[in-house]
Parts: sequence; C-alpha cells; structure tokens
Amino acid sequence: MSLKNKLNRMKTHMDLQDSEKKGSPVEGAKKQLHEKSEGHLELPFAEKWQQFDTLPYKFDESYCWIREVRYPIEMKHGHYSFADLHTVIDLWQKSGLNHPLTASGIGTEDLFFFDTETTGLGGGVGNTIFILGYASVEKDEVVVRQHILPQPGAEIPLYQSFLEKVNYETLVTYNGKSFDWPQLKTRHRLIQQHVPNLPEFGHFDLYHASRRLWKRKLEKVKLSIVETEILGFKRENDIPGYLAPMIYFDYVERQDPEILFGVLKHNEWDVLSLITLYIHLSRQILQVDGYGDESLEMARWFHYLGKKEAAYKTFELVVKEGSEDEILFAKQALGFAKKKNKNFNEAYSIWREVFEKGNGMLKVEAGIECAKLLEHQFKDYELAKKYTADAMDTLSGLSKYKDTLIVNELTKRLLRLQRKLQVDSNIL
Amino acid sequence: MKLRKNLQEIMAELKSSEEYKHNIAHWQTIEAKLAKSAPFPARMHEKLRAALVKRGIHNLYTHQATAFDVAVEGGSLVAVTPTASGKTLCYNLPVLQSILENEKTRALYIFPTKALSYDQKSELHEMINEMDAAINSYTYDGDTPSNIRQKIRQAGHIVITNPDMLHSGILPHHTKWVSLFENLKYVIIDELHIYRGVFGSHMANVIRRLKRICAFYGSDPLFICTSATIANPLELAEELTEKEMKLVDNNGAPSGRKHFVFYNPPVVNKPLNIRKSVVLEARKLALEFLSNKIQTIVFAKSRVRVEILLTYLQELVAKQLGPKSIRGYRGGYLPKQRREIEKGLRDGSIYGVVSTNALELGVDIGQLQVCIMTGYPGSIASAWQQAGRAGRRHGEALIIMVGSSNALDQYIVQHPEYFFTRNPETARINPDNLVILVDHLKCAAYELPFKKGDLFGKNDVLDVLEFLTEERVLHQNGDKWYWMNDAFPAHNISLRSASQENVVIIDQTDSPNHQVIGEMDTFSAMTLLHDEAIYLHQGTQYQVEDLDWEEKKAYVSEVNVDYYTDANLAVQLSVLEIDKQKLFAQTEATYGDVSVRAMATIFKKIKFETHENIGSGPITLPESELHTNGAMLSINHDAFDWDDNRMEQGLIGASHALNFMVPLFVMCDPNDIHVYPQVKAAHNEKPTIFIYDKYPGGVGLSDKVYQNAETILKETQKMIERCHCENGCPSCIGTDTASSTAKRDAVNVLKIFR
Repeated sequence: MSLKNKLNRMKTHMDLQDSEKKGSPVEGAKKQLHEKSEGHLELPFAEKWQQFDTLPYKFDESYCWIREVRYPIEMKHGHYSFADLHTVIDLWQKSGLNHPLTASGIGTEDLFFFDTETTGLGGGVGNTIFILGYASVEKDEVVVRQHILPQPGAEIPLYQSFLEKVNYETLVTYNGKSFDWPQLKTRHRLIQQHVPNLPEFGHFDLYHASRRLWKRKLEKVKLSIVETEILGFKRENDIPGYLAPMIYFDYVERQDPEILFGVLKHNEWDVLSLITLYIHLSRQILQVDGYGDESLEMARWFHYLGKKEAAYKTFELVVKEGSEDEILFAKQALGFAKKKNKNFNEAYSIWREVFEKGNGMLKVEAGIECAKLLEHQFKDYELAKKYTADAMDTLSGLSKYKDTLIVNELTKRLLRLQRKLQVDSNIL
Repeated sequence: MKLRKNLQEIMAELKSSEEYKHNIAHWQTIEAKLAKSAPFPARMHEKLRAALVKRGIHNLYTHQATAFDVAVEGGSLVAVTPTASGKTLCYNLPVLQSILENEKTRALYIFPTKALSYDQKSELHEMINEMDAAINSYTYDGDTPSNIRQKIRQAGHIVITNPDMLHSGILPHHTKWVSLFENLKYVIIDELHIYRGVFGSHMANVIRRLKRICAFYGSDPLFICTSATIANPLELAEELTEKEMKLVDNNGAPSGRKHFVFYNPPVVNKPLNIRKSVVLEARKLALEFLSNKIQTIVFAKSRVRVEILLTYLQELVAKQLGPKSIRGYRGGYLPKQRREIEKGLRDGSIYGVVSTNALELGVDIGQLQVCIMTGYPGSIASAWQQAGRAGRRHGEALIIMVGSSNALDQYIVQHPEYFFTRNPETARINPDNLVILVDHLKCAAYELPFKKGDLFGKNDVLDVLEFLTEERVLHQNGDKWYWMNDAFPAHNISLRSASQENVVIIDQTDSPNHQVIGEMDTFSAMTLLHDEAIYLHQGTQYQVEDLDWEEKKAYVSEVNVDYYTDANLAVQLSVLEIDKQKLFAQTEATYGDVSVRAMATIFKKIKFETHENIGSGPITLPESELHTNGAMLSINHDAFDWDDNRMEQGLIGASHALNFMVPLFVMCDPNDIHVYPQVKAAHNEKPTIFIYDKYPGGVGLSDKVYQNAETILKETQKMIERCHCENGCPSCIGTDTASSTAKRDAVNVLKIFR
C-alpha cells in the first residue's frame, strides 16, 4: 500500500489544521523558489518591492530583502519630535543620575530601537523571526531598516546583512530581554558557523519601565496602548500583531509582497514609537517637567532602585503638588525616611495623619507603623493596642484579609501588647 | 487485650485453618539468595570509593561492576535488575566517575514518572554530598521554579527529567541547553520495560529527536538502561535507542525468602463454574494483615476496583487504625496526593495501600511485608513487579495472588509451573507507527530543519516530509525542509495516551466552589464518565451530572449509593486495505488496515456485594472512530452447518476466550488490544473474528497475532477444553452465550483454523 494513501487515511488522527481552507499556492511562485537557475538568483516581485523602498541583499546564492526609509529628525511622532532624543541624551549626560535607563556616555547615534516579527508565539526553537526591524538616528535623519526573510531557510543572508549593519552600542526594545533577543540568539545559534558572531550590546528594555509607571493606570501595558494613552500617537489601519504569522505564511506561498506591507508598517511604527517612548521615559526619570502624572510611581521606582535621595525629593514634590490621594501615599513613604533618621515624632504625626485620612491597605500600613512607634519608642502600649486593633478592623473589610502574613503579624502584635499591659498592671 | 499476630503466625494459619487451606492452590517458597560481589574496579576514582565506603559499601555486586566496566569503556548497556538490587549504582557510578575525570561531562537521567525522579534525586544528592565534589544535579520538570531553570540549563552536570518534559520542555528549546548537548556523554533510561506499546513507540521517537539534536551539537552519548525482568531487554533497548547495546544480567544482589501463594476462591456456582468474588476474597485476606498492623499492598486491576476495595477496607479498619491509614493510589490522582501517600508509606503512618499498576514502578515506598494481587495482573513481568513490592530488603515476605473466575486467571492459578518456569513476556514497540512517526517528525522539524537524505531513526522520511509540505506544516527550500506553522507541535502530542485530549473531572458538590479532582482519557471517559455514571475517587462516590463532550469536562457531585455502573460499547468494523492474507480450505486469515467505530450505548447499575443488575439507562455520546491495524480470522459459510444464531454464539465464545489469551502471547495490556466477533463481516460477508490494536495506526500487536495465530488458537482451544464447566463459564467462553452447544462450538471454531 502506498505510504501517501496511508498518510491521507490517518490524517484525522494527526492533528493537522484544516489545510483545505487555506487556498492553494501559486504554482509559479513556488517553482521559482525551488528551482535555482544556474548562477542566477530569481528575485520574485523585485519591482514591487522596490516601490516599497526595498532592495535585495544577495549572499552565497541566497538572498533576503532590506527595506530602508528615512524621516527628517524634526518629524513629530506622538507628543515629541525625534529631535527631542538629542535633548534627553544631553540631559542624561548632565544629570549624573545612575539609573538602568541612563544614556550617560552614550551618543544619540549609538542607540538602536529594535523589534522583531515571528512566525509563532513563545520561545521554542522553531519560532522563526521573519522581520528584524530597527530605527536609529543618522545625522539629521531617523533611519528605519527592516531585514525580511523571503522564505524559511534564507536565514544566512538575513543575519549576515543584519550583523553587517548593526554597529551600535545599545539595544532599545519592548520586552526584548525576555523575548526578541533570546529568540534572535536561538535562531542565530542554528546557523552560527555561517555568519558572524553576535556582538555584545547594552540593552534598555522599556517594557519593564513602562510596567512600573503605568501598570496601575493601564489595563494592559502593551506598546500599542501606551502609544495611544501616554505618547499621543494613533495608528491608522494597523495590522494586529497576532495576524502577522498567517500573513507571512501566505506571503511565503505567493511571494507577492503586497500582503506583507501592512506587517512591515506595523513593525515600523513599533520601532518609531520606541524612540518616543524612550524620550518620554527619560523626561520622567530626569524630572524635566516637574510634577506630573507619573511622579509618584517614579518616586517609588527610585526607592526600589535604592536611589533614596532622588526618591525623597520626588515624594516631596508629590506632597507639594499632587492630588489628595497621591499626597497620602507620598507622605506614607516619607514617614519611613523620618523614622530612619530617628525623627520619631515627625514620623508619628505623618502616619497618624495618613491613618486618619487614608483607607484600604494604606490605612492598615499606617496603623501598624503608628503602633510600632508607640510600642517601641513611646512605650504607650494602650494606644499601640488601639492602633493595632483598628488596623485589624480595617483589614477585615479588605480582600487582602486572606493574606495570612499580615493577619498573623497583627495578631502577634496584639497578644504581645496585651502581655506587656498585663506586666505593667502587675507592677503597679 | 487481643495480641497482634506476626506474619509467620498468619502464614501458619493460612496453611492450617479450614477457612483458607482448601483455597490455596499452590504455595511456592523462593529461598533467599546470597550476594555475589566483585571488588571496586581499579579505575574507580578515589572520591567515589570513599563515598561508597562511607555508606557502608565495600564491594560491588557483580552486575554493578560489569555495568561500570562497560560504560567507562564507552559502551551502551542495558542492565536487568530486579527490585532492590541496587540498580542505581549501575548508572550513578560511571556517570560520577566521568564527571570526576572531566568536569565538563553532562548526563541526562530519564525516569518515566515525576515521582520516580524525585526519589532518585535524593539518593544521588546523598552520594554526591559524601563525595565532597562540586557536582550539580537538578530535577527539571514541570514543577521546577522558573528562577532556577537557567542555572540548571547551564550548570547542571546531571539533569533529571521525564519523557514528557524532554519532549515538550527541553528538546524544543535546545538552544538554551547548549552546554548540556555539547557535552552530553550519558543518557540514562530507568525502568526501560515501561516503554512498551504506545508509550514506548513515542519514547523511541523522542530519543530519535534527542540523538538528532546531539549530533547537531557534536555529541554522541551512550545509553545506560535498567529494566525489570522481561524476555527481550536487549532487543527493546536496541529498538528504543537504535544503538548497539550490551546486556548486563549477572545480578549479584541478595534477596530475602519469599512465599508466593496462588489462592483460588471457592466455587459458589457449580454449573456456571463461578467462584467467589476476587474482590471480596482479597478484602478478607487484606483484613487479616491490616488488623495486625502488617503493612500490606493490594493491587487491583482497574481504577474502579481500587475504589471499591478502598471503600470496603476503610470502613472496616478505620476505627482501629485511623481513617488515613489506608489509602488508594492510582493514575487519576493529582501529583500532590500521590506524594503524600508515598511519604506515608515510607514513614509508616500508612499501613495499607490499594493500588493500580501505577505502583509497579520503582517508587521507593520502603518495606512492605505483604502483597495481595486481586487477580492475575495480565502479564508475568507485571506480576513479578508487583510481587517485588513486598520484602524489598526485608527478611521474609508473602505474596498472594487471588485468582478471579476469568479464564486467564484460572489458567495461571491451575498451572503454577507455567508461571514459575515460563520466560516473562516480550515487550514490543513500533516506533514507525505512522501516526506517532508523523507527530514526532513535526516536532523534529520544529527543532532543526531536515535535509534531503536525512534519516529519522533508520527511516528515509522523504515521503512524510513531502506530505507535511502539502499540508502546509513544512516549507521546502531547495533540498531542505523548514517548520512553517505558528503552532508549538509538542504541546499537542501526549506521549502516554491514545487520545490527545483528556476529560477534566470537576467536583461541584460544594457549589460554587468547583474543584478539579482528576482527569481521564477520552476513550475511557466514554464508558466511565457518561451522564449518571458513578465515578469513584479516593473511596468517595460521585455521580456524573453532566458530561460536556465538546469542552471535555465532566461535572460530578458527591453521592452515597449502594451500586456502581458498568457501560457497554458497541463497535462497528470495516477493513480498509488488506496487507497480508493466507487462504485455507475452509478459512482465511487477513491482516491490514481497519476502521473501528465505537459508541457507548447503555450502562447498567450493579449492586455492591451481590453484584446484581438493578437498572440501566442509555448513553448519548457521539461515535468515535479509530483507524488502526487488525488481524481478521474468517470462516467460509459452508464450513459449518449452523444457523446464524449458533454461529454467533460460537464466535462470541471463541472471542471471549481469545480476549484472555491474546495478551498472554503478545505481551500487552489486555486494554491495548480488542477482540470482536461478527457473523457477517462487511469486507467479505463471512463469519469473522477481528483482533485489532486499540491505538491509531497500531503498535504491531495484531501483526504479531497474525504471525502467531496458529499457536494462539491452539492454546486457546486447549484452555477451553480443560475448563471444568459444563456449557461455558466466565473462566472460558464467558456467560454471554446461552446455548448448550456454545462451548463445543467455540472449540470447533478455533479448531477449524488449523
């Protein structure tokens, strides 16, 4: 019995997607790909590509496409123009603030804003990168370059051309630390004996910074949402990223690039928005605009990074100019600074205020801090007990009540205070 | 106060008391065996010697020494090691030696289950600690926290995992494991005998993928396998790894004295030759031991039986020993529950465990004194594995096999010489099963592109590559094939079960707090989780309120009823293509592709204790179709002068008997193969017995039946003839036949093929 027949019969057991629906490949295009004419490389739809600013890159009897577009540096993309990148880079040089996103010692032209498109989700070896896109500043222009895989298996020219071009110091991505870059390393590993090694880059992953600043504000901290909500950029007729693999497979079969242009535009917007996002983030970090929506989160971030001075300065700015809610959060944080400096009275009066005005976990926390001060510094066990009990009371109304860690801590404190009161009354 | 009896006293009682002595069909005592040892090999590293000495080991058993010599010389090997023979040293010693000699060396340990790898890791760690060497060994499975995964990938000398994780968590991410694959010197496959049938066929393909990736990174690891006693360990190891192997079977480990008792329950219905229920007898025996606090394991053949026995035993001894002292253990439980039970057995807080064959594997549960098998487990190898659960390192141990009324059990119980002298069964795999092969070829192409002329195992796979290209899964570019799909293929392929989707079992007793309590493959779910089915889990009864077939979810609620349910499956068969055929004067034997369409039709409610039928209901589930291989045995119309009804009775009888005997001759689980009679088969309109593989594409079982049909038919015929019943009984042709000629006719049907 023929194996092909058998394969077709067993199809229902094989978990193949219903390929019937996908339409048949254009035979001509397919043939062109499979039969290499001697010494001469066929470049399907070369003219059409060219009209879309794309030229072939030939290497070792194979090729890939490279699209290049240039924009004047004065062009606006969202709230800023690309030229603002120069401004923030200058500010970084002057600031001396040691921050993960610092561009201190880095020139504007050393940055490349990078994003990929892949044939699937997740990080397996078979998930192929088919667009390597990046933007960078060259003199008074922003250059966007996209290296495009004409079909699976043409990765040698793709990476060869990419590695020839990327002469930069620092990579700027959105979630590139956990996705794009490891995936690029994976695909590079498969052909590494044929192409140059990967150079070492610095890496700014703006996703982490964005999450820090906007996770409370935005439902999802996706780049497209950050664009519209924060950066003031609106895409028109954008192809959603999840359609990219399907579109690419279709392109591979037909080779007509028309359908792929939407994906290329999508990728271009991604890398351009990374420039705007870096400008915006830098301005927040460097406090260029004084108090703003992000100041409180910024202060927390500094605190997390151990930049105490910058953190307290920012908290104080929030106390001066922020909304009522923000002020309480900022005060709460400042309370810890006072306590650390042994200004117990000031710390106590801050936390008392937060406890009275605040609610939710903020109130619970302030209550606990008051109780701590009262117990250990002021030895007022009676009042400490009252704060502890009130904190417990507030907590019981919250969903966090199930957090046994806090409940246990409060219970322990309450019992200890009771014991101390007992001892006191015995002495009396 | 009643004094507790010890094992010896109870054994004496079994032999002498009126209640038991007549039921003992055979009492075999296997004498203790002395150790055969060899000095430490000269080449063995000092640190390794020192660590062994610290653990009180001053020389090796012969098989350990041989394994060491073979492996350090660079040879692959399979060591046959009964329970408690120190098999772990067979691979730990050469692996540790090589790491001590060259710090870069890497080893991959594969255990069939997570529970097993958990045990082995602790043992390995103790050894390494005593060696005072900087050797890292880690478990890498679904439970491994993500923050240490990277460290394991880069710095783990020994990575311990399971086939499923290798298949979907390691191989598809091989670029993150460069230091492992570049330096991989050893692959350890423990419990080799588990890799048979469908699971083994999958595993062989996972190993093909592993070897392909190793070749890409320039390594060529050797394989060390350990196996329980089966007839063909060398053949299985070589088929599985496609490597030349050396067989190491000079076992030098000592063993304690064992008593192996065949226990046959009394006949309660002479004409039908029906014996007292095996479950009730096993329960009675188990109680003798448990009430004397003797740790006992009871094996039952099915999940349902486990639960029934558990319910019985828990009721009876809960007061005396505490409710948690007797536990169930089977595949459907969640991993955490299983861990807890394993621990309880080791530390002695659990006295009894009722298990399916899940515990056949070498999970360390310490020293049980008694093992009771509820019926013959279906294969000799499996019976010895279960028996090994008692007295692993102990002095004396008792194993009781309680025979049920079914034919195979009676055959075994009445022919102890067969059991004690026959070679254990042969384990078969079919790595080239088309469905399995195609599945793994997809994974392999995802991992690395294929080049024209590349082999996969020993196969030239050009046809399959072209097929997958037409299906738009692969893309051909020049003479290479690349993955071109957005899927992650390994996620959709389960190594362990025929169907790729499981039904999740959801307890909604405490609404709205729904809780997932287990899962089941779809084929079993048709007969065990249909609407109104009684599903037993940890001794608790649940009724299925709704089986959502589309979503693969079964909603159950706790109930308390005095019956269980049993469902019927209706089967339609057609032959798609004939591969081989033999024609005889009055019969024909055929082998080829068949389509099986199965539908669950009705279920019966069966009362506990009396096992009487107290009601029934319909099952409305869609038909499921299976394409597989089958052997067809057909009889010409003029062979017998019988009407259709009589013919049917004869075929049913013969099929019933074959159902028991076939697994015996083609080493497989009775559930891997199915025998089904038809008076008028669709392909040739002749009375036909179908014997088919239950897995899509087949795993080679029915082919073996076709090849060995003569022997199988002869032995089955003899088995029926030897049965003492008058007109057929559960022990031979079953009770589905009613006519007085059925038994004779079944014999004639079997005879005519020779």
